[in-house]
Amino acid sequence: MAYRRALNLLPRGKQFIFRVFQKPPNAISQTLRFHMNNPCSRTRNLHTATPLMVAKLLSAEELFAMRSLQGYLKKMEMEYSECLRAVNSSETEEQFSEDELRAKRTKVSLLAPLIQSIRELEAKQKEVTETETLMKDEDPALRELAELEREGCLQDIQDLSQKILDLVIPEEDADMSDLVLEVTAGVGGQEAMLFTAEVFDMYQGYAQHHGWSFDLLEHMTSDLGGLRHASASISGPQCYKRMKFEAGVHRVQRVPKTEKQGRMHTSTMTVAVLPQPTEISFTINPKDLRIETKRASGAGGQHVNTTDSAVRIVHLPTGVVAECQQERSQLKNREKAMKALRAKLYSIKLEEATSKRYNQRKLQIGTRGRSEKIRTYNFAQDRITDHRIGMTVHDIKSFLLGEDLLEEMNSSLQEFSNQETLMELLEESNQDSS
Amino acid sequence: MWRRCLSAGCRRFGLKGIWGSHAVRRCSAPALPAGRITALQAGDLWRSHFVENGVTEPDHSTHYIIAYLLGAKTIESLEQGKLTELLSREKTEQMWQLCTKRLSRMPVQYVIEEWDFRDLTLKMRSPVFIPRPETEELVELVLRDLEETGVGADEQRTCLEVGCGSGAISLSLLNSLPQLKAIAVDQSQAAVDLTRENASRLGLQDRLQVYHIDVMKDAETFLSLCSSVSALVSNPPYLFSEDMMTLDPEISRFEDHAALDGGKDGLRVIRQILTLAPQILSSPGRVYLEVDPRHPTLIRRWVEANVEEMHYVETQQDITGRPRFCILQKEKSNKDHKLDLD
Repeated sequence: MAYRRALNLLPRGKQFIFRVFQKPPNAISQTLRFHMNNPCSRTRNLHTATPLMVAKLLSAEELFAMRSLQGYLKKMEMEYSECLRAVNSSETEEQFSEDELRAKRTKVSLLAPLIQSIRELEAKQKEVTETETLMKDEDPALRELAELEREGCLQDIQDLSQKILDLVIPEEDADMSDLVLEVTAGVGGQEAMLFTAEVFDMYQGYAQHHGWSFDLLEHMTSDLGGLRHASASISGPQCYKRMKFEAGVHRVQRVPKTEKQGRMHTSTMTVAVLPQPTEISFTINPKDLRIETKRASGAGGQHVNTTDSAVRIVHLPTGVVAECQQERSQLKNREKAMKALRAKLYSIKLEEATSKRYNQRKLQIGTRGRSEKIRTYNFAQDRITDHRIGMTVHDIKSFLLGEDLLEEMNSSLQEFSNQETLMELLEESNQDSS
Repeated sequence: MWRRCLSAGCRRFGLKGIWGSHAVRRCSAPALPAGRITALQAGDLWRSHFVENGVTEPDHSTHYIIAYLLGAKTIESLEQGKLTELLSREKTEQMWQLCTKRLSRMPVQYVIEEWDFRDLTLKMRSPVFIPRPETEELVELVLRDLEETGVGADEQRTCLEVGCGSGAISLSLLNSLPQLKAIAVDQSQAAVDLTRENASRLGLQDRLQVYHIDVMKDAETFLSLCSSVSALVSNPPYLFSEDMMTLDPEISRFEDHAALDGGKDGLRVIRQILTLAPQILSSPGRVYLEVDPRHPTLIRRWVEANVEEMHYVETQQDITGRPRFCILQKEKSNKDHKLDLD
């Protein structure tokens, strides 16, 4: 949030101030690397495997200075007027089929807000030029007025530019989904499990911070109060859109509670964020499932009264397993296990689709987010560093509450990702037209 | 096959049962600890005590009791760290009381006096039958049909449950379908009382009528109360009388045998329900029954031979793949068929 605000504080005299995140030592001149894929149906990852990844966030002003963005906006305007002409003239000329017309009408209504903003921006830019002539006037009162007016305009331009960028950047398919969060302890034994529990709690706090629901699905604790593995279903506005940046390997460096000699350990845990598919978008054949319960042996029914209501579901073709024993009702456990299973299978499907696309394009990017080391929590220095954007914040205790500090980190990731997406889009648009 | 498995089980359980009942008199609860202990320690202590005394499901039993004591439903959903906090004196005593009950082989559901069925938490009290997970699926089947056919919402639909016990089936249906009304009957006053209590706890009492009727003895009163219902649902007593000897002490000592024992072939109440069904159901109303896996073929044959107006629709399996549910439908009589043709 703070960063977004910083971006908007731009007009200061004649110069725009843009914020630079961090300049890594090996900065290369082309500041952003893009991977390309189909903007219509994508799974977007921040590619992080490469150490050459340069973390610099461009301001809206800088982006608008890019020829490719200007070109893209021109192209959109042309498309819009062409579609509009077709829609309006259709009655007399009738050269389009009904389907074509419908597509064009949809296009018009889709593009309308963008075109509207572009025109407003142009109008504001004209105003600025006008005020600049007034500023050369002899009357000091008039000059002061013009100065004021100009500042207002620049602010409006800034807002409109941001709005245009937001409109241009496409949403990811799964952005509107709910999700299943999975945490798993990695290297480091009990210490890794303790850290896993802390991170899981952090996301529970984060969900609460955003007013999302957080429904426990699996929870396997260790003897010392740590977590081997846990999952939860999260739903609420924009939950996937935000949580997806948390997926990957989180590393902790500290002296564990279990350590007798005061040595520093490095342990890891993994976060997976799986979009929860809707019933319609993803179906599973019931014949492919084996459902295991305690009641499978013996006679069942009225013959038996067992309180073991745990349910385990195996997807036979893939061997993927989900289980739940959170609830006293066996049916509820089955529903929850099913939810977890669906999310797991769906994410495998998405992953396959994504990697296929990347392979086709022969692009070298890191494997799926979950195997990449994304963040380090260093207790001795009381800092958290996100390796994808080279951002560091301090105060681990507050960070682990899952409130403002995590939000700040998350927003930055969001902005970087948006910029990456924009660059991809422009690149593609360039290729199309050349 | 079935027979053989069952009788083997019978011998094993039978022995255990007898031994268990002696054991109860001999074994007593472990002494209340002098100092304060954590929930985890209390749990470990009782768990091993349960194991020593042959109490079934020692882990789950202690877990559910601890969870209940600490205000959660399952130990998995308890807050981190609560298990390792020291219990207050009061809680420790309560834990000892509840676990001592379990030591006498009282089912956990009666010990903590509640259990979950689908979306509902229901009050449980001995000797009223404790709903089994299979019955959650029976409700699923009924709901599936009622939701499918329930497009015309003007029509007031009623369902009838025979042998309502704690009220689990009727209350779940009412909870899921806000337009539905239900009639529930049971031969046991304790069951009728518990169903009413659960209904008012859940705020569903306005759409539910509960009657104390024995359908075996008082068919006439039964018929006078219910007519043209859309669905007749029942989890009737369906155990074969000989299997009554093989039950765990949790069931045989604490649950109402009248809710379990279905006579020699387990069909005593089922036959009565199917005989009365045509006079109760609207056309085309359906009967949904939970039964023993040996029953579906027997029921189909019996209905085809004895109840002209009922048509056997299908057998459904429970999630373990056993034939567990029978669905039958009231057929239009021959006379109606002719009218249709005109």
